[in-house]
Amino acid sequence: MIPTLGHAAVLVGLAATIFAAAAFLLGARRGDAALALLGRRAMTTAFALALLACAAMVVSLLTHDFSVRYVARNNATTTPPFYSFISLWAALEGSILFWTLLASGWAALVLHRFRHRLPALMPWVGLVLAIGLAFFFAVMAWPGDPFVRTTPVGLEGNGPNALLQNHPFMGLHPPLLYLGYTGMAVPFAFGMAALITRRTDEAWLGIVRRWTLVPWIFLTAGIVAGAWWSYEVLGWGGYWAWDPVENAALLPWLTATAFIHSSMVAERRGTLRVWTHALVIATFVLTLVGTFLTRSGVVESVHSFTASAIGPWFAGAILVALVGSLGLLVWRLPELGDTRPPGQPVSREGAFLFNNVLFLGITFVVLFGTLYPMLREATSGERVSLGAPWFNGVNAPILVALLFLMGVGPALPWGGAAWRTMRDRFALPLVAAALTAGGSWLAGLREAAPLVAIAMAAFVVTIMGEEVVRGARARGRARGEAPPLAAWRLATRNRRRYGGYVVHLGIAVMAVAVAVSATLSSDVTATVSPGERVTIGAYTVTHERVVTERLAADPRVVETRAELTLAGPQSGPLAPALRDYPNSSTLIATPAVRTAAGEDLYVTLLAHDPASGEVTLHVFVNPLVVWIWIGGGIVALGAVFAAWPDRRRASASARVEAPAESPAVASARLATGGSPDA
Amino acid sequence: MSRLPLVAGGLSLLLVVSLVVVALVSAPGPASEAERVERLAAELRCPDCQALSVAESRTRAAAAIRDEIAALVAAGRPDEEVRRHFVDRYGPWILLAPQDPLAWWLPVGVVLIAITAFGAWLWAGRSRATGRAAKPVPSSPADGDRRRVRDELEALDG
Amino acid sequence: MNGRTLRWLVVPAVVLPLAWLLVVSLSRPVPRVGDPAPDFSLRTLDGDTVTAASLAGRPYLLNFWASWCVPACVEEHPVLIEAQQRYGEDVTILGVLWRDTPEAAHRFLAEYGDGGWQHLADPGERLAGAWGVIGPPETFLVDAEGVVAARWIGPLTSADLPGLFAPVAVLDR
Repeated sequence: MIPTLGHAAVLVGLAATIFAAAAFLLGARRGDAALALLGRRAMTTAFALALLACAAMVVSLLTHDFSVRYVARNNATTTPPFYSFISLWAALEGSILFWTLLASGWAALVLHRFRHRLPALMPWVGLVLAIGLAFFFAVMAWPGDPFVRTTPVGLEGNGPNALLQNHPFMGLHPPLLYLGYTGMAVPFAFGMAALITRRTDEAWLGIVRRWTLVPWIFLTAGIVAGAWWSYEVLGWGGYWAWDPVENAALLPWLTATAFIHSSMVAERRGTLRVWTHALVIATFVLTLVGTFLTRSGVVESVHSFTASAIGPWFAGAILVALVGSLGLLVWRLPELGDTRPPGQPVSREGAFLFNNVLFLGITFVVLFGTLYPMLREATSGERVSLGAPWFNGVNAPILVALLFLMGVGPALPWGGAAWRTMRDRFALPLVAAALTAGGSWLAGLREAAPLVAIAMAAFVVTIMGEEVVRGARARGRARGEAPPLAAWRLATRNRRRYGGYVVHLGIAVMAVAVAVSATLSSDVTATVSPGERVTIGAYTVTHERVVTERLAADPRVVETRAELTLAGPQSGPLAPALRDYPNSSTLIATPAVRTAAGEDLYVTLLAHDPASGEVTLHVFVNPLVVWIWIGGGIVALGAVFAAWPDRRRASASARVEAPAESPAVASARLATGGSPDA
Repeated sequence: MSRLPLVAGGLSLLLVVSLVVVALVSAPGPASEAERVERLAAELRCPDCQALSVAESRTRAAAAIRDEIAALVAAGRPDEEVRRHFVDRYGPWILLAPQDPLAWWLPVGVVLIAITAFGAWLWAGRSRATGRAAKPVPSSPADGDRRRVRDELEALDG
Repeated sequence: MNGRTLRWLVVPAVVLPLAWLLVVSLSRPVPRVGDPAPDFSLRTLDGDTVTAASLAGRPYLLNFWASWCVPACVEEHPVLIEAQQRYGEDVTILGVLWRDTPEAAHRFLAEYGDGGWQHLADPGERLAGAWGVIGPPETFLVDAEGVVAARWIGPLTSADLPGLFAPVAVLDR
């Protein structure tokens, strides 16, 4: 009954989105607001139906309804409720259902948000979103039906993939990531609508920038959460393997970050509209490519779902989206203004654009590295592969340049400045870089990567600090405010800039943490009997005993635990384990991690000998790893601050309705101190 | 006094660059055996894993390879010979960073070309701008005041 | 062509390579049960050439293995020897080396016993790629008409053998 309800919801949802698309199309061409309203209602209905379908799947999972093939394959009677719930997105068909829910949520939200604004633009936005959603509903109606039944109905299910029921982070990483992925359809829809209606002015950019920033926050959080999950679960002591699916999540993030930067140039100068449109298109298409890579079985990966008939559908969708959007862009090319370079190379515009070149460079490298094995196999039949050393080696110089630019860019004024005034600004930051690098050297650090990262971070932080201090002082003197209050007021009046500073601070923290943890980790592998100990650095790990028992939460799983005691800068019990899941032929290692501000003590149980009680342990000391996650949090907070609407938005929104301004009027507005913000 | 920032900045930059260069160049010095084994293990792919190195993987095959690396290093073989031993034994795929020149030079080349083209585009824009409208560069207000004015404007601007 | 029409070339210039990539990546279907088995022509460790055509008329079993694949391949080896004894009169058993060298294979066979069936070298992993082999051991059963009859991922045990050979209806001797 319930699965049938779910399937019916999917079919009605398909009808609703097709109806919405038709209503939007007619409403847009006729300028009929009633039709547009109808379309909006249909899209809200589609969201409700997606919610219903998801609820039906969740109920089927929680009640272990093995008549549904998806439940039989991904759930068991012993699966704990939390993992039953998150099995919604743990495998192929369910993940598409979840994706559709989030995508329809974004669509309903944005259409509701703008229901009284931009009447010429929104029906086209609705049309694009409706077509996209119709595609996902169609996939669920045909090749990827999550509610397909299976006969005969078994008494027991396969259970979730062992790796996915090991850690509660599986409840965090996919939703965050999917919110980011699906959200990128919104700026794309606005971009298409702007091209169709020829409203490609700064107003469009302002809207799209904000509606890219919000999914970007989720995408960033999702990627960092994935790395954290990988670190806590997979047991190899690392957090990023340049796996094809990891790369697939990174690609849209890279182009979206590039867009966020160049859109600021486009907003100020009215130029580069073709470029910003191209980036919005690229971001959306890359989210589809990412989804395709994960779901078509085309690449081998710890992530990839099994191959299925869904692959060709997604391939088709990618091509249609690309042909449609590129065609639109080329069609409207003459009206998108000039592509003149900014007046001065040494300016914030120049820095932002160089930033774009570098980000696109990394995008190319990652794309190349992911596709190269496929290409070689297709052309010569040979199987090759590119691993972490290749990615790290080729990307490292670009990343160093980006870090440097992250410091220099915000220090440069718009429009450029003479070298003489600029060079003095970099003196103190360079001295700070030298002091930190020199200090680290004297403290014994001899590795290049951490030295560079630390020097860059000091450079960036000093420049930002100077900006904040200078601005706060200027404001404080002008308005008689104390510096901290002045700084806060300044920040809240300039959310984009100061939010950007916080984001850059987070990136600097992550850069140092990644460089240090990658080069300065140490590890040791040893086999010990009960009572023996392993020493690494200042730590001693003593093996007490081995315990083998069934998990209380899921009795089908047998866990073999090495109970250890840790002594040293951190101390206490450690219990790395090997878990035997009935549906997995290999044992799943669960590492034990103790985290402190300075370093992590990380132990994996490699093997154990039941006869002698000996265990083989792989013990790591990973410095500064926790700062990667903290840095990611800082980035997200900074972006939230930047995206937060401020009080002036009420009056600014009136400007959004204004007809397209010529660049002359726009710059006059700028010169008189009005806000270009939208 | 006005020269101090330039000198300080320049010296600092020089110091940082020298430290990094020294770190880069001095790294492959006479490393201990354990470090060599670790480095070589990080370069070899674990045969039955996804994208992991022998150093990171915990499978038996990876452990066997690690032991073999340790034996070769203890026997005094240089790094290059150890690598060749494994390539001969398993095939070129065993190296995580393939020696395929195309795989290295194509992306590096593309990125370098892109950066050069971008630089040229920026530079071309500059000479055109100075040719078109001669903007008088105000020289009298002191830097601090100019910065204050700019900050005030930015504060209103957002 | 003037500039106006010329710019439209951007669309096929971007889309066509991507379309080629997508089509190529999808047209690597892994042969499932009921599909025709991939063709091949490979040399054995002894130097003879074996082709799929030369095996026609009899079911054959391909076992992808490696000498370094411990403990799975080591544990599976006696099971394969048993399979050779029980079904070898009617089914041709072939080993295929996956990411391994002939010398290592010979050492393995010397240590764990040579079951008497031939082993193929698969340079460049072409046959492995055609079958979609991700890691050893993987075993494939092809019937007398050259159609895939069974796939087995992971090591075989003695108890699995009757079920594995059931589709080709050969006698358990």
